[in-house]
Amino acid sequence: METTTTKKTVKKDYRKLILEGYVNHVLEHGAEPASVFKFAKDLKMKEEEFYTYFTSFESIKSSIWVSIFDSTLEQIEAQEVFKEYSVREKFLSFLFTWIEELKKNRSYLLSLYQDKSKAFKSLPSDTREFKEKFKDFAGELISEGRESQEIASRPVIADRYDEALWLQVVFIFKYWLDDRSPRFEKTDAAIEKSVNLAFDLMGKSALDSFLDFAKFLYQTK
Amino acid sequence: MASKVKEQETIPVSKVQRAAKFISTGAKVGGNYVKHYAKKMVNPSMDKEELHSNNATDIYNSLSELKGSALKVAQMMSMDKNLLPRAYQDKFTMAQYSAPPLSYPLVVKTFQKYFGKPPEGIFDTFTRSAVNAASIGQVHQATKDGKTLAVKIQYPGVSDSVSSDLKLVRPFALRLLNMNEKELDHYMEEVEERLVEETDYTLEVKRSREISEACAHIPNLRFPTYYDEFSSERVITMDWISGKHIKEWMETNPSQQSKNQVGQALWDFYHHQVHNLKQVHADPHPGNFIIQDDSRLGIIDFGCVKVIPEDFYRGYFPLMKKGMVLREDELNQIFYSLDFISDRDTEEEKIYFRGVFKDMISLLGMPFHVDRFDFADDGYFERIFQLGDKISNDKMFKKSRQARGSRHGLYINRTYFGLYNLLNQLQAEVDTTKPEWLK
Repeated sequence: METTTTKKTVKKDYRKLILEGYVNHVLEHGAEPASVFKFAKDLKMKEEEFYTYFTSFESIKSSIWVSIFDSTLEQIEAQEVFKEYSVREKFLSFLFTWIEELKKNRSYLLSLYQDKSKAFKSLPSDTREFKEKFKDFAGELISEGRESQEIASRPVIADRYDEALWLQVVFIFKYWLDDRSPRFEKTDAAIEKSVNLAFDLMGKSALDSFLDFAKFLYQTK
Repeated sequence: MASKVKEQETIPVSKVQRAAKFISTGAKVGGNYVKHYAKKMVNPSMDKEELHSNNATDIYNSLSELKGSALKVAQMMSMDKNLLPRAYQDKFTMAQYSAPPLSYPLVVKTFQKYFGKPPEGIFDTFTRSAVNAASIGQVHQATKDGKTLAVKIQYPGVSDSVSSDLKLVRPFALRLLNMNEKELDHYMEEVEERLVEETDYTLEVKRSREISEACAHIPNLRFPTYYDEFSSERVITMDWISGKHIKEWMETNPSQQSKNQVGQALWDFYHHQVHNLKQVHADPHPGNFIIQDDSRLGIIDFGCVKVIPEDFYRGYFPLMKKGMVLREDELNQIFYSLDFISDRDTEEEKIYFRGVFKDMISLLGMPFHVDRFDFADDGYFERIFQLGDKISNDKMFKKSRQARGSRHGLYINRTYFGLYNLLNQLQAEVDTTKPEWLK
């Protein structure tokens, strides 16, 4: 039955193999492999071979986050309407699509991050690379928003908007992990409402007019 | 009350936030009472209209921000016009039209979830923003193969929040409707059942089709076709019915003949459902009816359908018979069987409530007592409101700890008040047909 055609293909995609192997291990055992040595052995490769692709389990987890992010971007950019969206809609669309991508890996993410005390430590380090990339994306959105006047330019705080959007991403992730509603409808509602709030806060509001007026009174007195 | 409906961009999400919203409204309403009595001390001639109108504004603003089932309750309260003083009514009828929209990315996401394609992948065109708000969703216009379609999309999480929303509305309803707790719970269950049904779009499509087929023979009605392939638990696709809502249509000064034609179609539609199908479109608010250019009446939104149990039907409708008020014995028996009066009542209560209900049925049954009734008669409606006002302000009525009336009556009453009210808005005179046994 077993033919010998697949007798060591010239170049196996080890990177992919390692990523998949890692996810599978977490899914089946509910925890990380005990050591790189053991993990490499399970994949039938040498430990030093492993290090040519990844330096640690942390770097595997990190690149899983990044790949989720990358495929999210790929998908939203493939949508025709995306270009016509306002910045608010673009960010909404990003989060909705991202959550869909997360859904494909829910069990994996749950076993790693469901435990709050552990997640508290590991989540920031695991997502560092993802965060960098996300902030680039957010930065683009924000400058687009400033151009279109959707986002008000305010001194000092305006430079932290990307950080604020990141916090929102983290919030949504945590909300989604705990969401028990069918089809994660509650998460959808949470996204819709929190993004609306964030963009209302970032947009020109009564507060700006108030500050402007106060400044005027102060200066002309 | 010139306050404009504020465009609203955030919807309170969690239970806590919703609760907070209600509490802040409660505080405002309380404040309005304080203000009212303070003003009254200065100016004793001030009447309660202003107070009601202040309260209505606050309550409306709060409810419309809550969306979903709270909005539904607002709609329902606005239907039971006879229960609410005038000022509440005017504000609440607005709730029937306006609600804040869902973002387009969420619409896309909903489509992806249920059909695996964005709206553009299914329809030839699809409006980016909602053209209309439905109570628990919104409507977009689409075209496909030369047909214009209406696509209704439900807000996420509505069905989950129905019962918690109702719990929040409860203290409010207690105060607004002058009901005691027992009475209210008796009805709340019924309301909850209907609301949960209403979030089930699959059921809605099924019922819409059943009823529209069963009513297809009635002249001058128009029902949309429903499309299963583009419908799911959260999305309904149907034909776009073009035309005007009653208010807009009336502004075009239609002839009395067209008004009567539309009114008659409406009456026939309800007659057939109540007496023959024994299930009824129990949401007769103006937003669900569209009048077309040829004065045909389009009927949309079968979210709220009340199935009428046979024994309730047999027990309730004899009240509409002409001369019923004169037959004391028969009447007493009906009052008992429908729980209007029970043995737990004191003698004094029995006499009082018998009187009240007699007044009510002789007034509400009036269209049934004649062959043709002119609903344009505002005097008739004035009398209904007055009776409602009188009863809800009566000490005897407030004091009573009993729940009165069968729970099935809730939606049937609402349906008939709604129907009368629509006919009044239409200024129509119609043949008030009735089944043989009620003549």
